[in-house]
Amino acid sequence: MGKMDFTGDQLIHTYRQMRRIRDFELAVYNGVRRGVIAGGPHLYVGEEAVAVGVCTALHDEDYITSTHRGHGHLLAKGGQMKPMMAEILAKATGYCKGKGGSMHIADLDLGILGANGIVGGGLPSAVGAALSSKLKQGGWVVAAFFGDGASNTGSFHESLNMAAAWRLPVIFVNENNRFAMFTPMQWTTGITDIADRAAAYGMPGVSVDGNDVLAVYAAASTARERALAGEGPTLIECKTYRFLGHYVGDPQDYRTPAEVEAQRENDPLLRFERVLADRGVMNEDERLDITRQTEREAAEALQFALESPEPDMSELVKDVRHPFNPL
Amino acid sequence: MRSELRMPQLGMMMLEGTVSRWLVEDGASVEEGQDVLEIESDKVVQTIPAPAAGILRHTAADGETVPVLKVLGYVES
Amino acid sequence: MTDRNISYLQALNEALHEEMGRDSDVFIMGEDIGLGMGTLGVTEGLRDEFGPERVRNSPISEQALVGAALGASLTGSRPIVELMFIDLLGVCGDQVVNQIAKAAYMSGGKAKPALVIRTQQGVGMGLAAQHSQSLEAWLVHIPGLIVVAPSTPRDAKGLLKTAIRDDNPVFFIENKRHYPIKGLVPEEECLIPLGKADIKRHGRDVTIVATSYQVHTALAAAETLSKDGIEAEIIDPRTLSPLDVEPIAESVRRTHRLVVVNEGCRTGGYASEVAATLGEIVFNDLDGPILRVAAEDAPIPANLRLEAEIVPQPKDIESAVRQLLP
Repeated sequence: MGKMDFTGDQLIHTYRQMRRIRDFELAVYNGVRRGVIAGGPHLYVGEEAVAVGVCTALHDEDYITSTHRGHGHLLAKGGQMKPMMAEILAKATGYCKGKGGSMHIADLDLGILGANGIVGGGLPSAVGAALSSKLKQGGWVVAAFFGDGASNTGSFHESLNMAAAWRLPVIFVNENNRFAMFTPMQWTTGITDIADRAAAYGMPGVSVDGNDVLAVYAAASTARERALAGEGPTLIECKTYRFLGHYVGDPQDYRTPAEVEAQRENDPLLRFERVLADRGVMNEDERLDITRQTEREAAEALQFALESPEPDMSELVKDVRHPFNPL
Repeated sequence: MRSELRMPQLGMMMLEGTVSRWLVEDGASVEEGQDVLEIESDKVVQTIPAPAAGILRHTAADGETVPVLKVLGYVES
Repeated sequence: MTDRNISYLQALNEALHEEMGRDSDVFIMGEDIGLGMGTLGVTEGLRDEFGPERVRNSPISEQALVGAALGASLTGSRPIVELMFIDLLGVCGDQVVNQIAKAAYMSGGKAKPALVIRTQQGVGMGLAAQHSQSLEAWLVHIPGLIVVAPSTPRDAKGLLKTAIRDDNPVFFIENKRHYPIKGLVPEEECLIPLGKADIKRHGRDVTIVATSYQVHTALAAAETLSKDGIEAEIIDPRTLSPLDVEPIAESVRRTHRLVVVNEGCRTGGYASEVAATLGEIVFNDLDGPILRVAAEDAPIPANLRLEAEIVPQPKDIESAVRQLLP
């Protein structure tokens, strides 16, 4: 299914999904500035087209693994703002009862295997979830998100090789936002295009404009079809950019404000707004209407989280392990 | 009704910040979102917005060091 | 019940055959296991019976291998991973410590990492420093992991079956010197519960807690001590974490003396953990200090005589016991 197959409603829905991520992350940013969110969450502002492009190509039964910068993936896969925000504030009403936090949000019912605090840490799990699909003939694929920094880890190497050797239904989605924490990619990486690594493992690799949601969608769709046809994994490199720091308060010594400003021209939301306007699918009033709704949804989520109770002290030692199954 | 202003945690390792200066004086009327003070940590200077509209009250003084997430002041609406 | 005298290795093999036959979601993966019988020999015949999909030869990629078990377990499968040597924990440490062990807690109890990592440890073959360690202390220190170390064929079979059926991540630690040991194993199904210790020998004069192969070292020491009228009670925790403390405490209340034997290095080793835990509970019942008998704080040497000397031997246990007796 290509770009031309999106109906007007589907295009608007896609825009709304991106807008929701943007406004959710800005609400989190606001929460950090207000001193009510701890822990230095890592925000996805500027990368929305990647999460939405990929997750729009996925079905409900598919799984994703995410990263430390995972709020966008989680929302795109069906995460609700209130329990997500509550988890970021570590309240009892969060997806993980306040015990996982921003970097470990998971909901198996939504196919979200989890955000991850270890760079590259989620890739092996993605391979395993895909293996499960193959063994059980479950018919699902797994999209594994990871950054340019993660593509230099041993975990990346092992996971891509294993997925290719066993022809597993994984879509490896590389979000190349040019910085691994505080270090520009070109200082630490021997190549320029991470997609070039795919051939080394025996899988196709494509490099796409990660700020073009329809291009990301097309690549992810194709990869999903391949995976379901038993052809194995694909590596999709999405070239993108993050507008905010690695975390809120990051002094960003590694780039200039002018560079960030210039990149704002390439904002995936701005670009998609123009596409929708050009196609006559969404006018300015409709756009403002959607934005008001998503801003309100995000503000309500923050309020919900602020008003939610803290976890009970007894939760401290619960869920460390499950009770042993009776024999 | 009181809405609190708290010292933000700007990064995982930040334990405390310093009140650089209040931008609006104690007892003045503020709007929601208006920048009311400036704080500093090792690495960064950040402005803090009023969480609500109303009368601003300071509890921390200029130059005072406050642990992250602790109260610096509040707005009475 | 009909008992057969079979080896530890055969008991494990039976457990795997039976559980894979019982539940089609169970599969096994590891290095070299799919062809022939693998390095350890435990998986012999499984590939012929269950096919290459369910008995998978993995690349030499411990991070991916161990981490894949997590993803598979969260999506309806029940994987068994063979980690060829416990010494390889360093290679896959993140997946064990930060991913698998914490999945249940970080998800607020939703994730059920129903997986087993079978591995082996210990000296006995002159494989030297990087292939002879006993690292259970590392695992026991991480909340969320279940750690078992059965010492007999019957315990091995019963515990492996239980571990496979459990929804927790279980580290199942075998020992190089265990595989040929024979023991009685019922023909009928005999599951052994997780978290339950076993008294391997009853005695009134001293309590010896011993783990893994050291259960056998302790039994040998007990024979010698018995000739001098000293009767040792030997308790095998079987599950190292969570430890079944009560039978040990009850024993010490009778014997008033405790020796803990473990093949890991003394400093920061598992014996220290048992000693500290029991010390808090039975201090007033003790006639003397709790003694640890453990390996010297050194890498395992290649030379076989040195190797034998560096780890606990019966004489070391006898010496500790005699220290506690007037």
